[in-house]
Amino acid sequence: MRGFLLRGEKTGQSKPCPYNQKRKKYHDKYLKLLMYFLFILFTLTGIFSFPFVSDAKLYIDITNPERRIPIAISPLAGPLGREIAQVVSADLNYTGFFILLKEEGFTELPHQDFNRENWLPAGVLCVLKGTVSLIGDELEAEARLFDVETGDNLLGKKYKAPKNLLRSLAHSIADDVYKEITGVHGVFRTQLAFITEAGGAKDINLADWDGERPRPVGLAEKMLLGPRWSREKGARALVYSAERKRRWGIYKLDLDTMKERLLFMRPGTNLAGDMSENGEILFSSSFGGNPDIYLLGQAGGIKKITNSGTIEVSPSFSPDGGRIVFVSNRGGSPQIYIMDSNGYNISRISFSGGYNTSPSWSPDGERVAFVGRYQGRNQIFTVRTDGSELLLLTSMGNNEEPAFSRDGKLIVFTSDRDGKKAVYMMRGNGEGQRRISPAGVKSYGPRWSTN
Amino acid sequence: MKKLIPLLAIIAALMLAGCSQKKISGPAPGSQSEMAGEAAKGTEEKDLAGAKEESLKETELAKLEKAEPDRPEMAETEKLSDIFFDFDSYELREDAKPVLGQLSKELSRNGEALLIEGHADERGTNEYNLALGDRRAASVKKHLAGLGVAAGSLETVSYGEEKPMCNDQTEDCWAKNRRAHFVFQRAK
Repeated sequence: MRGFLLRGEKTGQSKPCPYNQKRKKYHDKYLKLLMYFLFILFTLTGIFSFPFVSDAKLYIDITNPERRIPIAISPLAGPLGREIAQVVSADLNYTGFFILLKEEGFTELPHQDFNRENWLPAGVLCVLKGTVSLIGDELEAEARLFDVETGDNLLGKKYKAPKNLLRSLAHSIADDVYKEITGVHGVFRTQLAFITEAGGAKDINLADWDGERPRPVGLAEKMLLGPRWSREKGARALVYSAERKRRWGIYKLDLDTMKERLLFMRPGTNLAGDMSENGEILFSSSFGGNPDIYLLGQAGGIKKITNSGTIEVSPSFSPDGGRIVFVSNRGGSPQIYIMDSNGYNISRISFSGGYNTSPSWSPDGERVAFVGRYQGRNQIFTVRTDGSELLLLTSMGNNEEPAFSRDGKLIVFTSDRDGKKAVYMMRGNGEGQRRISPAGVKSYGPRWSTN
Repeated sequence: MKKLIPLLAIIAALMLAGCSQKKISGPAPGSQSEMAGEAAKGTEEKDLAGAKEESLKETELAKLEKAEPDRPEMAETEKLSDIFFDFDSYELREDAKPVLGQLSKELSRNGEALLIEGHADERGTNEYNLALGDRRAASVKKHLAGLGVAAGSLETVSYGEEKPMCNDQTEDCWAKNRRAHFVFQRAK
């Protein structure tokens, strides 16, 4: 700390001036305080930023989206790069969270390196670019997601797939982009299971999330209902109900071995409702005299959950497995009820209309989608689990069997608005309703897988 | 004090550096400046040589191995007319009673088993209609047992809305579908 030379002080003779010394002390003290202050500031910033730290930079809070994110999906440089980008764009566009910049607005070519200057004028926040090569029948793509504001590379990953799985490869890219921006996995990597009927024979099909590439599993049933995906970790299986030899049975099909197992077939109408993470089957059956809800344990033991002389049917577990939603006509007409998984604390949640059935939980456990008879037809409603906030989502034709995507943002359902029953999907607020099952084929009972 | 300053400076620098490697998540998107994270350029650059990789595969679905239920095959004859029900009801109507009386006489005469099918019109949803059909068949079985037919010779099954008699969306057709149907059965 340099002292001040007082006027008249001769150099060489540094005699500390009392005033100087005071000032020096003041400076020292001030500096000390400043350093302490800065130290505390940085420490606190370090501590308080911790709770807000996340791996992904969250652009959208999907629980409360206020506006759509402008992004650009550039064709990947290389063969089939445009086709891949088109599938990615269609996926992201459908969610309603994004505004996709049209290619006419691009000033950067696919093979050029990303330069944020090229994208800033267009006002996009993120850009997806990449490369793709085709080696024999094998696609190898490299995709990068850039933050235009900072120029950062948010996502850089390689994807390999045989050429016939181009759509699946694109869906994986779309899901990774979606996860990076919203923080959660969406529906793009999931599979859709649904029933088709041709010539009186019914079969289950497995398709991409958007209904493309349906593959039949090989059943030929007279009567087939409600495929439900297994929730067991690492398992790929479907549970469904089929009538064979004059009796309804609950069957489980392991999709890896393609072996079917008969789980339950006591005399009565046995309908699969849901499967827990432990592999227990929640179902309804009238083997006890009238339709009630039961739980079939892994070891084959049966537990009766509801016990009444009325109809209890269509049960499914809440996402955390602690509650069950079901249909009962104990009040005189079919309505939606919720109870604890042990059968206690039954409460009714549908109060409008005289015919409410087919309930299904949202993945956050807050809402239930169901079918209500309204103005002479079946329509899809959602309601909060306390019975409030009833929303009507459909209006054309009859709409049934609603089921949510795993992020709770989309709903898949059955509609006969075009004559024959077909599988449709829509956003959670009812927007964007469109058919995703094959044209002209009677289709119903759709469910997206949970992983 | 002099030693303390550099030490504090180092600690402060470390704090700042730690801050810059973390990205702060924002609320719903606002202006661009709100969106700016504090990631230093280059620190988050993912080197593609070390990038994650995903390999997609799909195997052909093998042939399904069915689990056939162990149930006897039956020879079936359908002789009697159906009886009908009101909407969302499984109560036997008065006009059903004569048919059921005739049915019980037929059964005691020929000793065959009877399959009672319960059906519903298409207006409800499939599962609820299956339960409704189930209860309709059960009502019939109970009534026949009351008329003296051995319960062991009575089998019930519900087809809900799955096997309609007609497909028109008219009250007339719906009334025809809300039925119990009878199939006499003899072991093959």
